[in-house]
Amino acid sequence: MSGFHLVNGLSGLLIVTSLLVITARRPFNSAVFYASQSFVLVLVFLALAGVTGSHELYTWSATALVTKVILVPVIMARVFGKLDDPKLGSGERISPALSVILAAVVVVLCFVVVSGVNLRTAEAVKPALAISLAHFFLGLACIVTQRNILKQVFGYCLMENGSHLTLALLAANAPELVEVGIATDAIFAVVVMAVLGTQIHRTLATLDADQLTTLKG
Amino acid sequence: MPSLSHFALAVVQAVLLLAAAPLLSGFMRVVRAKMHTRRGPGVLQDYRDLIKLMKRQDVHPPASGFVFRLMPVIMPATLLVVAMGTPVITRFAPIDALGDLITTIYLFALARFFFALSGIDSGSSFAGIGASRELTLGVLVEPVMMLSLFVAALLAGSTNLGTIGAAVASLSMHSAAATLMAAAAFGFAVYIELGKLPYDMAEAEQELQEGPLTEYSGPSLAMVKVSLSLKQLLVVAWFVAVFLPFGNATSMAPLDLAAGLVVFVLKVLAIFAVVGIVENSVARTRFRLTPRHSWLGVGIASLAFVFYLAGL
Repeated sequence: MSGFHLVNGLSGLLIVTSLLVITARRPFNSAVFYASQSFVLVLVFLALAGVTGSHELYTWSATALVTKVILVPVIMARVFGKLDDPKLGSGERISPALSVILAAVVVVLCFVVVSGVNLRTAEAVKPALAISLAHFFLGLACIVTQRNILKQVFGYCLMENGSHLTLALLAANAPELVEVGIATDAIFAVVVMAVLGTQIHRTLATLDADQLTTLKG
Repeated sequence: MPSLSHFALAVVQAVLLLAAAPLLSGFMRVVRAKMHTRRGPGVLQDYRDLIKLMKRQDVHPPASGFVFRLMPVIMPATLLVVAMGTPVITRFAPIDALGDLITTIYLFALARFFFALSGIDSGSSFAGIGASRELTLGVLVEPVMMLSLFVAALLAGSTNLGTIGAAVASLSMHSAAATLMAAAAFGFAVYIELGKLPYDMAEAEQELQEGPLTEYSGPSLAMVKVSLSLKQLLVVAWFVAVFLPFGNATSMAPLDLAAGLVVFVLKVLAIFAVVGIVENSVARTRFRLTPRHSWLGVGIASLAFVFYLAGL
């Protein structure tokens, strides 16, 4: 099994973990699955670094490990664990089964789109590139199909992971500064959204996006 | 054309599986009793039940037809054919022509068809409803089963169970992600097919779930009961043959076969211990909600197919 095989296989695991994030019932479980997904992402970076011999990718994976596997999930688990809305229920607009089938369709479509890409760097990792694109859309789907605003934050994180992977696949030698920018960006976005979620829950006593139709406070 | 030794192996393994099936359901009863912290019957209880039933009179309802009389023969016979084709202790199918996954799926479907038909043929409306329930479950499970096995077949380049198993065992499947997803989907389908909680209870013949058994008595009931436990053993053996073939005998040498047998027994015991724990720690789902679960299985299987297509 070559290194590129490993990269492609691991990126398949990304789709599985992101489906777990989307279909998990409690935001706390979603945070755990998100951490495991980020860990898979770190493994993809390491595999990619091994194949391309890019030193930058090693630092990328180190910063991603600190920020995405530890910091962001811990923040989300701590803040979201306290918020609860019993009236919301599962808060899904479509059933988990439909989400999985939809994900399969999205992966196929992305694969068709990516097969038209003719880049020298993307030749060996085309499946992984398709996955990263699909991942972006899965995050978008998570925001659209979940009524729970905390799950929508996870949707944002999934989109962010997808674009992170795209960047690593296409520009393995990008300087660390870019990576640091992305990582801090993600952390601050999550912190801001966590604060927003807490505020919404305090003022309106709901986590249901459909209920957020009135201005209050 | 299979050689004589292959044929002998097929017959021996089918007979062994048939003989071990009541032992297995006895084991499941012991596990359940342990989980309930009660004493419960011993491991050999199912053999005692079967012997007792064999001595009883066989009674048919007046409205029943020939299907009702034939089913207790057809069902074990069909399952024994499956038992001869599945690679149980060897990595290859003992009789190649029977070791095809499409053949196996259809043989299981044949057994299920006659099982359900006998319920309708018995003339009892209760048995009829149980039969339609059984067929509904089949309709829900079979797409998952077929799709996941076809992904495995596409990856291995053959529909022969032995060849797929060999490809998995030598880790030469083209896509690890697709194989894992297909294994997960197939394992889920096999679990439903086992007839365990939360979907079914194979022992509850006085309930709707095993409704087709309502009118059976005596030796016929014994035959159907032993076939139901044989079916549980076979679907697990099927899963083991395709996705967990590690440690199976690769040749016909007696020592290899003995080692393969020991490994198979250990694997089956481990799987059934896990199944027992799952079964006894969940509540029964409402039957109308089963499609939601099975559609999830279809989703996982189609994801496996997509992974195969994408070449992950």
